Amino acid sequence: MLLGYAAASFQYIGTDVAYQFTLVGEGGIQFSVDAYSFPLIFGSCITLLIVFGLFLKRFSHYYYQICLVLLTALLISFTTVDLVSMFISLELLGFSAFLLIADRNDKKSLFNAFQYLIGGGIAMLIYLIGVVQAFTFTGSFLLEDLVKAPETALCLIVAGLLTKSGVFLCGLWVPNIYSHANCQSSAVLAGCVTCAGIAPIARMSQILNPISDSMVVIGVISAVIAAIYAVFERESGRALGWSSVSQLGIAILSPTYACSYAMQHGICKALLFSTLVSGSQSSQSEESLSHATNHNLGSKIPPAQELMRVVVFIVASLSIMGFPLLAGFITKNWVKYDIPYEAKIIFATTTLLTSTVYARLIFDRLSTFIKQYRRDLSLSSSRLLKYFRDIFATPTNYILLISVVSLVVASFTAPELVTFTSVQSAVISAILGGILFVSVVGIQADEFVKPITRTLDLVGAPFLVAALLLANLIYLKI
Amino acid sequence: MELTPEKLRLIPMVVLIVIGCFGLLNSKTMLRSLLALDVIDTATISIFVLIAATAGSQTPIVSATRYNAYSDPYPQAIILTAIVIGFATQALLCAIALRLGRRSPMLRYRDLEK
Repeated sequence: MLLGYAAASFQYIGTDVAYQFTLVGEGGIQFSVDAYSFPLIFGSCITLLIVFGLFLKRFSHYYYQICLVLLTALLISFTTVDLVSMFISLELLGFSAFLLIADRNDKKSLFNAFQYLIGGGIAMLIYLIGVVQAFTFTGSFLLEDLVKAPETALCLIVAGLLTKSGVFLCGLWVPNIYSHANCQSSAVLAGCVTCAGIAPIARMSQILNPISDSMVVIGVISAVIAAIYAVFERESGRALGWSSVSQLGIAILSPTYACSYAMQHGICKALLFSTLVSGSQSSQSEESLSHATNHNLGSKIPPAQELMRVVVFIVASLSIMGFPLLAGFITKNWVKYDIPYEAKIIFATTTLLTSTVYARLIFDRLSTFIKQYRRDLSLSSSRLLKYFRDIFATPTNYILLISVVSLVVASFTAPELVTFTSVQSAVISAILGGILFVSVVGIQADEFVKPITRTLDLVGAPFLVAALLLANLIYLKI
Repeated sequence: MELTPEKLRLIPMVVLIVIGCFGLLNSKTMLRSLLALDVIDTATISIFVLIAATAGSQTPIVSATRYNAYSDPYPQAIILTAIVIGFATQALLCAIALRLGRRSPMLRYRDLEK
């Protein structure tokens, strides 16, 4: 079923098919399946497929059920043009995400789930107040009627959506949760849940000029600050979370390509989280992901599979860095040509910082891998043959292999973007990222960034963003 | 912006929201922030109901005796969902509080955030 959805939506990506229908006859609930929703549907289906394939052994039927509910909520939130059905789908999404986080069932993840739910609850109430204020002015709950709504209502609605999609300031919950949930849960969360807010925001900024202007500001702030946080973060899980915040900040810069960018980022993030820790101890580990990487002791899986995981990790990281010949390169260039001129330099900065982060992550992953399998990595030909046989032995490896190949193939969909200058800039930014990583290593040694765990910060952030947006729309008019 | 009776009716609800936000931002334990969330929830629902009742407060059912001031059924129908969702949130949060309360019975953030 997932494959069917993915194939159907993949067919329509890039075409201008728009199909609108209304449930329950005249005056019913309107849905619109259009260019915004296809990439996101494709992305989330593929993410779920990858996670199902990789972690099949550890799935309870309970987990599977939650994932299907999650998919339903995602499909509604991608296709709806109705503010109230969006509210319902986002709440449903919040509940299922909450259950996924709490699946780990220890004290830390339970508390993080509590914080997420209470923060999401307050964000959705803010959103609801905005909706009712818009309703008094426009008399309908449709997204396109928001043009007539007052600024206050817009601010409240956008603040709620931003919290759900996990952009900076509202997205403080992201790194906490990604580092404390199970790795399969964080793969699902990173791949699908944060995309849910992107589609409505993109739709809104397409029709509302003030919103799209403030989105550029918020996106830039989010992209830069979160990337800096990610550079100075030592735990791999939290660094991935921060970089996710920064990537989503880039995604909301341009409403046209936001969905494609979020799709690419979601798939890569899901792959990253699934391969972050090696297979043997992630099934047993009681600690958080970051601690788990330090204790690579008893390894039961064959080295070939582990090698495969490392390769996938590296390819996905390179794709997010925007390395040529990978999917990330294409989406990054789309966004680059679409954003206003002033934002471009900041976009470049963010790209640089992102490459730094991933250079570090790749380095960490490789060093743990080499430490673990130093003895096995001799290059005799008989060994190599055995490795090859191992690679094609299990279905997990097939999935990993297919995903890598498809990441590469996806880059050939838009060959006109592969010009000399863009390839040059991408390669240079990757190399500079590596150099920056080497220079930053010294600073990372001490506790530079304190993790933000206080509930007050998480809960207060939506209010702050709503106030800032209001100030921007009424007085500053950036 | 002149103050019409419709807007005056909304003032207590806004006050409730402010109280709830204050409680949420100042609570020291999990249970209190849970209650504060409930207060904001109730206030939002009341705003919906009051706005639906601006045109009139009669039930929008066509019967033998006709009234001329019906309330708007659309927001009322929609807020039913929000009530249920608010209830579900409360239930989930209570379950988590119960679970965490075995380890640290006071449910203070200071103990939990370590």
